[in-house]
Amino acid sequence: MIAPGAAQGIRTETARAAAGTAVSFNILQQARQLVYDALGIAVAIVMLFPIYWMVATAFKPGQDILRLDPKWFPNPITLQNFQDAIARPFFLDDVKNSLIIVGVMLVLALAISFFAAVGTARFGFRGRTAYLVMIIAVQMVPLNALIIPLYLMLDGVGQTDTLAGVIAVYLAVVLPFMVWTLRGFVANIPPELEESAMIDGCTRFGAFIRITFPLIGPGLVATAIFGFIQAWNEYIVAYVLLSSPENQTLTVWLASFTTNHGPEWGPLMAAATLTGLPVVAFFLILQRYLAGGLTAGAVKG
Amino acid sequence: MGVAITAPELEPVSRRPGPLRTALFPYALIAPSILMIAGILAFPLAMLIWLSLQHYGLKELIQHSGEWVGLQNYQAIIADPLFHQVILRSLIFTFTCVGLTLVFSTLIALLLLKVRQLVRVIVMSSLVFVWATPVIVSVDIWQWMFDYEFGVINYLLTQLHVGNFIHHNWFDNPVQGLAVLVIVVVWGAIPFVTITLFAGLLQVPSDVLDAAQVDGASAWHTFWFVTAPMLKPIFLIVICLSTIWDFGVFNQIYVMLNQRPSSDYFTIAIYSYRESFGVTQYGLGAAIAVIMVIILVFVTFFYVRETVKVAEIA
Amino acid sequence: MRFRKAWFGVLFTAFAVLATACGGSGTGTPTEESGTLTVWLMNGSAPQAVIDSVNADFTAKYPKVNVKVEIQQWGDIGTKLDTAFAGSTPPDVVELGNTLVAKYAAAGALEDITSKKSSFDNSGTWLQSLTDSCTVSGKLYCVPYYAGSRAIIYRKDFFDAAGVQAPTSMDDLLTVGQKLMAAHKSDPNFSALYFPGKYWYAALPFVWDFGGDIATQSGGKWTGSLNSDNSQQGLNKLLSIVGPLSKADKTGDEAKQDAAFAQGHIAMIIANGWEVGVITDPKAGNPALKDKLGAFPIPSHNSGQTAPVFLGGSDLGVAAKSKHVNLANEWVAMLTGQKHMTDMATVGGVIPNTTSLLSLGTGLNAVFFNAAKNSRFVPNSQNWAAVESANVLPDMLVKIFTKQQSVADATSAASNRITTILNGGG
Repeated sequence: MIAPGAAQGIRTETARAAAGTAVSFNILQQARQLVYDALGIAVAIVMLFPIYWMVATAFKPGQDILRLDPKWFPNPITLQNFQDAIARPFFLDDVKNSLIIVGVMLVLALAISFFAAVGTARFGFRGRTAYLVMIIAVQMVPLNALIIPLYLMLDGVGQTDTLAGVIAVYLAVVLPFMVWTLRGFVANIPPELEESAMIDGCTRFGAFIRITFPLIGPGLVATAIFGFIQAWNEYIVAYVLLSSPENQTLTVWLASFTTNHGPEWGPLMAAATLTGLPVVAFFLILQRYLAGGLTAGAVKG
Repeated sequence: MGVAITAPELEPVSRRPGPLRTALFPYALIAPSILMIAGILAFPLAMLIWLSLQHYGLKELIQHSGEWVGLQNYQAIIADPLFHQVILRSLIFTFTCVGLTLVFSTLIALLLLKVRQLVRVIVMSSLVFVWATPVIVSVDIWQWMFDYEFGVINYLLTQLHVGNFIHHNWFDNPVQGLAVLVIVVVWGAIPFVTITLFAGLLQVPSDVLDAAQVDGASAWHTFWFVTAPMLKPIFLIVICLSTIWDFGVFNQIYVMLNQRPSSDYFTIAIYSYRESFGVTQYGLGAAIAVIMVIILVFVTFFYVRETVKVAEIA
Repeated sequence: MRFRKAWFGVLFTAFAVLATACGGSGTGTPTEESGTLTVWLMNGSAPQAVIDSVNADFTAKYPKVNVKVEIQQWGDIGTKLDTAFAGSTPPDVVELGNTLVAKYAAAGALEDITSKKSSFDNSGTWLQSLTDSCTVSGKLYCVPYYAGSRAIIYRKDFFDAAGVQAPTSMDDLLTVGQKLMAAHKSDPNFSALYFPGKYWYAALPFVWDFGGDIATQSGGKWTGSLNSDNSQQGLNKLLSIVGPLSKADKTGDEAKQDAAFAQGHIAMIIANGWEVGVITDPKAGNPALKDKLGAFPIPSHNSGQTAPVFLGGSDLGVAAKSKHVNLANEWVAMLTGQKHMTDMATVGGVIPNTTSLLSLGTGLNAVFFNAAKNSRFVPNSQNWAAVESANVLPDMLVKIFTKQQSVADATSAASNRITTILNGGG
């Protein structure tokens, strides 16, 4: 049920089979594919149901939102919640700030973690084990416990209420995971590939950039999405560090839909839908690199 | 995508880095990461430990000077009977979540290899959308779905004649309530683990699997003896991370229970919050955080050691 | 020689620092004052029009001062306030929920303004509970800002159809409720009085009405008194009313009650004045209910009287570490002054901080404004915030409503907990 090359395997069998059974094998194969596809769709539906509920609610007028007999489809559909959400003061500033923070952080994080991943996957050096253990251990500390010290430290260097301060904190939080994960992906690439490239005239460093980097495409995509989401949805650090409304991020904007009167369900769901869209867009752009890794799996020494 | 191997040429000597440069090269590679991580986190971590040894309330925080109490905070926590209950509950909760997440994620990742391109994009996009939704918002939705009177779940279960679930309160019974919370946590955890495992599966060379298939291995056999061992580093990573994250689950429980969870629902993160930030006793809160890290180190010890061992081989 | 020069340098710097620190910003004439005044207000407290008006007046008086009003979110505000006060640049003016103030005042975060009390408008007629919330150890640390009180919102059409009128006593309330339940027998979701289990703000009037209280203080020591005979009597009365009349979640809180009310299966809820707006809001509720809503005060068990209600609300404080203490106080004085307080009441619809303006409540608001005259507060201790975050009251109520414990046992446990926490224990 598993192997990626199973389709190939089956085709080989089909070629060997007698002409008469070739047709039924084909139908079997198609039926199997249909079952898998149906299962896949089922998974998507089950996972997406709460999200569907969120998006549907975003289009419902207030009265239809909390009902004893739920309305499956928004009817009437209204865009009022979205208009409400976008009309909030500083919305565009928040979008801009979130994009800047996430963009800068992601570029730096991918670069730094790639180098560190290569360094620990390809080389043995003194202190390597200690470094790896440090990387893992740091992730066990709950971020909530560090907020006060982080704030006081940044306050001491005047970096509260700055995007740079937030980017630095996010980088430090996200790097351990990215290094650790990418190390695993790099380790799976045989070093012979780099060595071949070096024989062809590449420097060590060049080999890493030109050979290894593309081959760990899927790993990069997964960690990039992870980093994006961590930074995009992070609330408490952004809220505590950033006080001027011009500097705040979308997560603070999202929080503003919950007043002391409770959440404003319609606009909140609309806002949440809008907040999730850039991540999905980011993924859709990158996902072909994920599939591109399919060929990477076929690398022969 | 084969790599052509041409006749070996001798590298010009000037291109080869000298022995010192070679030795320093790995350190140069990891230097930026150390700088960033240590630069930002070293002081706060040190302060966390220092805080845990003090009586540090709001007044002390504002005046930047605490009262040294040594290990008193730790003693107070360990002596609290509630604490032991909380640890046990957290461990059971964590293992359940991690176990279920792994099983479902592996199955879905394997399924992703078999579906056609379009379906794969659909499934992965939906996973990403789930992953991308801020936890607080998605838990709001789940809370709503399990609501006592307006909940879709109660409505559906009654409509499907599974029983009478009108006005059924899912959180009356802590075991049932925690089961609901497990569903919410696992649902949120599946996307990341699935996508990471899938990325790893893509790196498994298909010729190795072909060989196993030709040899007549069953699907289960192929997975357990061929695929899984190749994915070992990735499995180690996701298990370790899932354990760390699920151990620290806070938002799901806090929001599901209207920010007022009763002590039957306390996991260590909630307990930490209530004992420290809730009553602004930062010394206590720091001590609990330190204890949390120590417990995590013990729990993940096996996996960490395996990971580092695997790293050595590589 | 070098040493002495260095010492002079140190002394001079110290002197300069002291001079600027002590001098604050009240030395020049108003038009000369400059700098940035940072004000933190909570999301949803003051209407933008009122804030703009205050800033206009303030800028007219201090043209060189830049006022930055930053709206804060309720989520995790505690952590944000803690870090802000701990850091070097706290906001100059800060709005604090009235149950949180004592904690910050006792920790030294706020400026002691006891001596400046008379410089604020209406300080003689400030709402007592709000003033109490600002007072720690006899000193005043903030200025009452606005209040919220509760009464019973009801469906006039349901009442008319069942032939009942607004009750004037608790027993009457039960009778009215039972008639409503009978009139809606066919609706399994109908509640005459919708009362979520954890709604402690709405449970307290019953406790207070019978003479009970959360805790009493004598000689600096607090004693929880929810287990007193009076308190228990009040809770038993509440139980006897809510039991037959409410289908609400016994373990839930009041967050969804407005949306639930808008669905049309509820006759009465105990609610704040602003909840009328939420119920009829086209985005969140049912605008068609606008003319069908009425309000009456929570009746006492003594016929013709009303029960004391919990007074919610906010106060405005000035940070002790602020570099513009005098300017900050001026800004606070303007927002809480006669002119803008009137706007808060008329435009914002919130209860103003002084009894002299309570007559400004119109329509349904009048009921809530009047209820504020008979209002009580939680024990005025810096540790009260800890009682709230330990959920003592909601947990106690849930145990009582779900019949897990008797009123006697639940109140006894809660009282002990409160005694411990208020006196500084865990």
